[in-house]
Amino acid sequence: MNSAGTATADTRAPMPALPAAPRWRRPTFGAIAKIVWVAAAYLFLLAPMVVVIGSSLDGATVYSGVVFPPHDLTLRWYREIPAAHYRALGLSLVLAVSVACGACVLGIPAALGVVRGRLPGKSFFLAFFRAPMQIPAVVTGVAFLKLYYVLGDATGLFLNASFVGLYLGHLFVGVPYVIGTVVSVLQRFNLRLEEAALSMGASPWRTFRRVTLPTIMPGVHAGALYAFMVSFSDVPIAMFLTAPGFVTYPVELFFGIETDFNPAVLASASLVIVFSMCALLAVQRLIGLDTVVRSRR
Amino acid sequence: MNIRWDYLLIPSFVVSFALLAASQLTFLRGSLSADLGLGMLSKSLGLQNYDALFNDEFYVRALWLTVKVSAMATVCTLLMSFPVAYVIARMRSRWAMVMLAGVVVSSFVTIVIKVYGLVVIFAADGWLNKLMLAVGLIDQPYTIIGNSTGVVVGLMQFTMGFAVLLLYSVVRTIPESLEEAATIHGASRARVFWRVILPLSLPGVIVGSLMMFNMCMGAFTSASLLGGGRIFTLPVLIQRTVIIETKYGMGATLAAVLLVSVILINLVSVFLVKRLRAARLVIA
Repeated sequence: MNSAGTATADTRAPMPALPAAPRWRRPTFGAIAKIVWVAAAYLFLLAPMVVVIGSSLDGATVYSGVVFPPHDLTLRWYREIPAAHYRALGLSLVLAVSVACGACVLGIPAALGVVRGRLPGKSFFLAFFRAPMQIPAVVTGVAFLKLYYVLGDATGLFLNASFVGLYLGHLFVGVPYVIGTVVSVLQRFNLRLEEAALSMGASPWRTFRRVTLPTIMPGVHAGALYAFMVSFSDVPIAMFLTAPGFVTYPVELFFGIETDFNPAVLASASLVIVFSMCALLAVQRLIGLDTVVRSRR
Repeated sequence: MNIRWDYLLIPSFVVSFALLAASQLTFLRGSLSADLGLGMLSKSLGLQNYDALFNDEFYVRALWLTVKVSAMATVCTLLMSFPVAYVIARMRSRWAMVMLAGVVVSSFVTIVIKVYGLVVIFAADGWLNKLMLAVGLIDQPYTIIGNSTGVVVGLMQFTMGFAVLLLYSVVRTIPESLEEAATIHGASRARVFWRVILPLSLPGVIVGSLMMFNMCMGAFTSASLLGGGRIFTLPVLIQRTVIIETKYGMGATLAAVLLVSVILINLVSVFLVKRLRAARLVIA
């Protein structure tokens, strides 16, 4: 814990000339309360994931009751992960990656257009592009389901429970994240860099590719990560746009909890938690965590 | 530079507009047709669904329950996450990044997995219940499935990671020197909080709370799983009406009501920010 945040009232006491400052002060009640509070919050935040991983490693975990902390360590449940889970995970991964790519393709030009363009009503466009984030996911799910029914009745092309249908639904909520993060990077962008490149004789395209794009890349990565995660963890939209045999991983899990509590579910869930942690570690290496956190909104 | 950046806007605008307008308009139109049973909708349009919704005590109570549960979850999340955000924002050691990473991991793992964890923690024969029984805190195993406390806990799990990250960026906009100045001039820690930290973070906290409230209002997964078929918040009701009862008209109507309430909260939030800016309370 850092001491700067715990400065106490006794700093008010007049300072002696140059005393040997005591190296250890008795922690105040406030400091202890703060540590306890933060620890409790972290316990609340992380306990569910720790428990899932822990109980997935336990051989005594049975269909009726889950055992935590684990008594005898085993990887048995990992061998028994049903094939349906791998299929669902595969679909989720492919979907989330393509949503992230699609969101970048649509989001980057839109962000450039909004920030650099000389259109009136810039704030209108920003609000417009942010709109899908404000709509509750359940409403988006119902709306797309309804849209596909109407479309299917009119054209005979039913998008329900198809990859394209699901993709459009997730793209709809994914694009705003890329736009948001790229806009926030662009607003801090130093235009002099581009001017310098242009005045040195670089073509506009070359300037864009060699100067603009590398500078906004952290925003792109952060936005793509958000789009990926939104798609990868979504239940309420996919719930309406999938069908038995064609489900994403979170939806498979959602129904799993209601039907049977198979401990193998805990095993595959643990794999996903570990995967998320690795992805985050890679991101930390690539662009730094602070960029991800700051470029939100 | 003589590049027309404006043109870049066109493709994304067209796609986004098409998706937004097509989906929202078709479902809003759907909310105007009566259900004829077996998923069929009437051809004529009317307000009968809205009429039924606001006259049926069941639906009105669901709306009220959604607001109540969301408000409770928002307040609890705020109280829990503000100190965490503050501590991380003011830390100077490398541990700040680790603590931040913990929060980000939690907000990136799908809520379904976290609900599994909650179910395991509060299992009737789990160690937590055994402990509480042994201590005498409770006299029968406590379950979080099927009651509104469980739903509130689920919603807190859903919003807390997001809340900490949001409040972290709010605290980061308050220069630490202001707190130091107040302390040097003799303010106690509590006084610094009430007179410096709180007023300066208030706009961010209010906007953040409204965003959290919105998230809770629309939260489906945790409310559905922990409600256990007994607690019906609006999103849960929408899914049931559409998928189980196949009443597409009524489902769309409920969705429209949810959408309108969320938009209203957003407008309030925008209005509040403008007022606070005008009052020069926002420094960043």
